[in-house]
Amino acid sequence: MSDRLLNQFTNVAKKALEASKYSTTLGMNMAEDARRLSRAEMNEEDFVRKYQGMVQKEFGKKMELAGIEETKDGPKWGMVIDLRKCVGCDTCTVSCKAENLTPPGISYNVVLVEEKGIFPNVSRTNTPRPCMQCDKPPCVTVCPVRATYKSGDGIVVQDNDRCIGCRYCMVACPYGARSFDFGDSYEGEMLGYGAMTAPDHGMDRGERKKGHSPIGTVRKCTFCFHRLQRGEEPACVETCVGDARYFGDLNDPNSVVSKMASEARAFRMKEEYGTEPRVYYLR
Amino acid sequence: MAMNQSELKYEEETNPNVNVALRYKSWMVFLIVAMVVGGAAIGYRLVEGLAVTNLTNFVPWGAWVAFYIFFVGLSAGAFLLSTLIFVFGMVQYEKVGRFALFTALICMVVALMFIALDLGRIERATNTLINWNVMSILSWEVRFYLIYMVLLATELWFAMRKDLNLLARSGNLFKNKLASFLTLGSNDISDIAIKKDHSWMKILGIIGIPIAIIGVHGGTGTLFAAVTAQPYWASPLFPIIFVVSALVSGTALLLAMYVIQRKARGLEVELGMIQGLAMLMIGFLAIDLTLEFYEFLVAGLNNKPEKMAILSVMFTGPYAWSFWGVQLFLGAVVPIYIVANKRLRNSVTALTVAAICIVIGIIGVRFNIVVPTQIIHQLKGMPQGYYAPNLVEWLSSLGVVAIGLFLYSIGAKLLPLEVNDEEVIEHE
Ligand code: SF4
Ligand code: SF4
Repeated sequence: MSDRLLNQFTNVAKKALEASKYSTTLGMNMAEDARRLSRAEMNEEDFVRKYQGMVQKEFGKKMELAGIEETKDGPKWGMVIDLRKCVGCDTCTVSCKAENLTPPGISYNVVLVEEKGIFPNVSRTNTPRPCMQCDKPPCVTVCPVRATYKSGDGIVVQDNDRCIGCRYCMVACPYGARSFDFGDSYEGEMLGYGAMTAPDHGMDRGERKKGHSPIGTVRKCTFCFHRLQRGEEPACVETCVGDARYFGDLNDPNSVVSKMASEARAFRMKEEYGTEPRVYYLR
Repeated sequence: MAMNQSELKYEEETNPNVNVALRYKSWMVFLIVAMVVGGAAIGYRLVEGLAVTNLTNFVPWGAWVAFYIFFVGLSAGAFLLSTLIFVFGMVQYEKVGRFALFTALICMVVALMFIALDLGRIERATNTLINWNVMSILSWEVRFYLIYMVLLATELWFAMRKDLNLLARSGNLFKNKLASFLTLGSNDISDIAIKKDHSWMKILGIIGIPIAIIGVHGGTGTLFAAVTAQPYWASPLFPIIFVVSALVSGTALLLAMYVIQRKARGLEVELGMIQGLAMLMIGFLAIDLTLEFYEFLVAGLNNKPEKMAILSVMFTGPYAWSFWGVQLFLGAVVPIYIVANKRLRNSVTALTVAAICIVIGIIGVRFNIVVPTQIIHQLKGMPQGYYAPNLVEWLSSLGVVAIGLFLYSIGAKLLPLEVNDEEVIEHE
């Protein structure tokens, strides 16, 4: 129905364009891509790049990106967690452990539970907490050897081959998002656990052995960097039962996460610490 | 002093009625046993990693960090006391001057051993020098510690140079040979050269004051104060409290060590000087307590929930005994009572007990700085942690302290740390 309507309009537009002194094909193509643009199948930058030359030739006017931040430097990852949708099932915690093969005692993700009020007026809030990948990360500031640093894609990276295991970053992280690898193993319960290797920042370290990194160093959530490299979402996002987690490029103002992050419901944890987290919550 | 130089001799006094050699031997045997036991614990920890400690992801910093800041504090305190003598000319304390420098040096060695033991990856410790993060206080501290230790050793060398020369000439034992080696070929002990030594000591002392106050111990306090995530540490008063409590513990340690050494050799101790040191120590303690009082008062009046939670752990939680019992009663009430009491004030033994109490009290202070704040997790909704050092941590700490005391005892035996009476006058 709507298609037929649309086609009718298209024909009208075509006739109007043919009557004008400007190129009909250009007009039709631009209109089609503009529709893609509005359906977010195309971004504005590509649109401008595609037509800039032709528009200049045809109309003698320069097309420019209006009010849009440059996205040349690639995506800057961020996450939005909708607290109203989180059911507190801890699937993210478990899938994170399975994905990153974290040893006993280490959990990159936890779900904090807060109950308020007296029965029957009780409310319960579940707050999942990954590493916030802060833009002003205190863990990076304190590290004496620059083992932990902020990478260009927004992720706070930890170099386990440089870390001296002083644990200063652990006491300095306001979100308790860092853990020390004491060298414990699930080998007793799970045969071959040590043979599997944790995909740490996209690097394969081989068998988990005493005296080898990351044992004796600090570890943290990487937004599943190894999955991002394959074009997949972080494990916690993919497995979330309540579909409460969103992941994407906060650099792109049109991304779902950017839009959600600018909603009135959005907030960040411990904003007053000035850490500028890249994980937003919707209250 | 117009004395023929060949007549000058450096000799350590001992009381002939006491079998000093035997006492020294049994002390050394005791230290060796402690080092063997502690060494086993240290070895176990080195092989097995930090898993053998009681540290967890809730409380990542424990006893070793507390001991590390304790010994950095002792060192800074002892050094600052030495500057009172060598820079500000308080000659009444001259007798402890070289001991102060040597103690400061040994305490730094002990502190670094503690922090090395605490690293998850000791073998990478030099990374701190290679990869400098200019924003990280810890990375600055490592550098300050090293500069400070070189400075201490140099100043001590100038302080001992004359006596090293005298010692080198007065015999042919190992001790004399070592002394001759340590002179590093600088054999001029004319009055002019000695004067030069003194001005060098003064210069090094003056350079050392800001390094010790701002760099070494204030810096160590800043290391904590800079952590916003720990509301108890994040106070600008913290570095100052660190420095003042360093002075308290440094003075107390010197007093106690000096008296114990003299007594062990069966020698008299001059009450006047000990009283002076004790007054100094109590004065520093009073300032320290005042600062802490305001720290707690303002925290209480601010009524920030996170900070109040930590204070309540300190005051009423599982470590309350350490705050009320060790830090306040043993570390403040007892020594203040001793010094205030007319009878006790005139007894060297009582004053030494007061000093030892203060040193133990400051261990409590350091422990209370490091541990209680971590008990409350950074996030609401997480359970409370708990930490108490386990046997491995205690024994390895014993081992490290024993190594320090061993080095100290050897040094005290072989180096001319005692100051002869006529030199005291000479220094004026
Ligand atoms: S949440 Fe903690 S570990 Fe993650 S970037 Fe921020 S300070 Fe660092
Ligand atoms: S534990 Fe490792 S990453 Fe953390 S501050 Fe120390 S050296 Fe840096």
